[in-house]
Amino acid sequence: MSGPTFMLLGDAALVVGTSLARELHADLRARPLPGVRESVPALNVLTVLFDPLHPDCNALEDALRARLAGLHPRAQGGGRTLVVPVTFGTDVGPDLAWCAAHTQRTEAEFIAALCGLTLEVAFLGFTPGFAFLTGLPQELRMPRLAAPRERVPPGSVALGGPWAGVYPRATPGGWRIVGHTAMKFFDLSQPEPVPWQPGDRVRFEALP
Amino acid sequence: MIEVLRPGLQTTVQDAGRRVRSLGIPAGGAADAGARRLANALVGNAPGAAGLEFTLSGPTLRLHADALLSVCGAPFDATLDGQPFPLWRAVTVQAGQTLAVSGTSLGARAFLAVRGGLNGQEVFGSISTDLRGAFGGQEGRALRRGDRLTWTPLPAAQPPRAFIDVDLRTTVTAPHLLHVLPTPDATPDLLDSMLGQPFTVSTQADRMGVRLTATVPAPHDPARVSVPNVPGLIQLPPDGRPILLLPDAGTHGGYPTPLVVVSADLPRLGQLRPGDRVTFQVVTLAWAHAALQAQERGLRQAEAALRLWYGR
Repeated sequence: MSGPTFMLLGDAALVVGTSLARELHADLRARPLPGVRESVPALNVLTVLFDPLHPDCNALEDALRARLAGLHPRAQGGGRTLVVPVTFGTDVGPDLAWCAAHTQRTEAEFIAALCGLTLEVAFLGFTPGFAFLTGLPQELRMPRLAAPRERVPPGSVALGGPWAGVYPRATPGGWRIVGHTAMKFFDLSQPEPVPWQPGDRVRFEALP
Repeated sequence: MIEVLRPGLQTTVQDAGRRVRSLGIPAGGAADAGARRLANALVGNAPGAAGLEFTLSGPTLRLHADALLSVCGAPFDATLDGQPFPLWRAVTVQAGQTLAVSGTSLGARAFLAVRGGLNGQEVFGSISTDLRGAFGGQEGRALRRGDRLTWTPLPAAQPPRAFIDVDLRTTVTAPHLLHVLPTPDATPDLLDSMLGQPFTVSTQADRMGVRLTATVPAPHDPARVSVPNVPGLIQLPPDGRPILLLPDAGTHGGYPTPLVVVSADLPRLGQLRPGDRVTFQVVTLAWAHAALQAQERGLRQAEAALRLWYGR
């Protein structure tokens, strides 16, 4: 593993490049560092937002280095597993046929291949509850649409580049929609409004 | 209780916002945080108490109980039962009176604070309205005619005679000089095109972001992975029209972001109005920190003086 990189972004954020972004995020939540307001993970990146009134960027960088030195990659199997029931079919998955053809499979074979995978929540972002799911093998990685749809229906299960995801609500979107789930990923009536977090494993299950 | 007789163009409940970007949830909060803090201080509230943010054209509100109000921000025309209602100071309003806020010819937003702070739907520690997510505040939406808002009563207090000094107010007049820090995305060519010309604020200006009209040659990298956004980030989508990110911006973005507006100038982003001219000036990190500290000193002095008045 190469060492972490640190880059200031404006006067109130430090971007840490590290394969341990998710672990560092969890560590900072468990043991906050003074002056750090929040931290936001992405793929191999943790953006640390700090109080710009008391900026000691060198001290912050040192503290983050020290934290990183004590962290280890989270062992496989640490997170929870969510099973997401999905209705596949061209009426709710307008790109299903295209994706199947693109992978030279029948639709049934394509669905079986997708549901046979264990994906993982890499990070959340884009819109509340939206998760970037990793773990697609090369042959199931779908090119994004040339022109994004103006409105993707909520619950759409979609593939885009290296990612899979579920749109929690109607938004524009450029990923290939293959199905629909009734599962809610941002539901303020639930004790846990966002039901998944980085590190959780995810399986799609085809509804009959 | 406050009854909304006329909602204005876009009036929302806002406070200091939330800190759950890691769940994909935008920060939210009043777009002019300086106006929010000063309005709250004037009525003896904590700096993060919830109030009403209005945009370009304000609301007409009937008060159904005595209240202490203040309005800070762009110079909106406001009247109380037809008499001029002064901005930047605390004003006692009696039950039955009507506050009518019309338009402003400068800036875009103002913040109305009620002594005690407004109530609303709290989501992840904030009652700020997230319009796109449709949660928080008043049913996750802008106010409508007929809405009724409540606040948490505090012991009645005499309003201070003080008004907020002009130096502490967020600048609302164009042309806007925004101080920025470059990021590693800032190539010499890009800096050349972004720093050499004034931009105009387009009509696409909301709580998520402000689009500028001129185009700059934007690098395009479809394979770029989304990374977290920070307040004041300037995004450059493929069409080359820069977007200044405001509090409701998405938490992650996949476009190049060559510049970041310094923290001291963030309140000013909330005051950009369509047609305003904007220029960017690169500063050093030390300059950015010094500017913020100077601004903060002024705000804290005002807040401390008003806390003293209210005996807290």
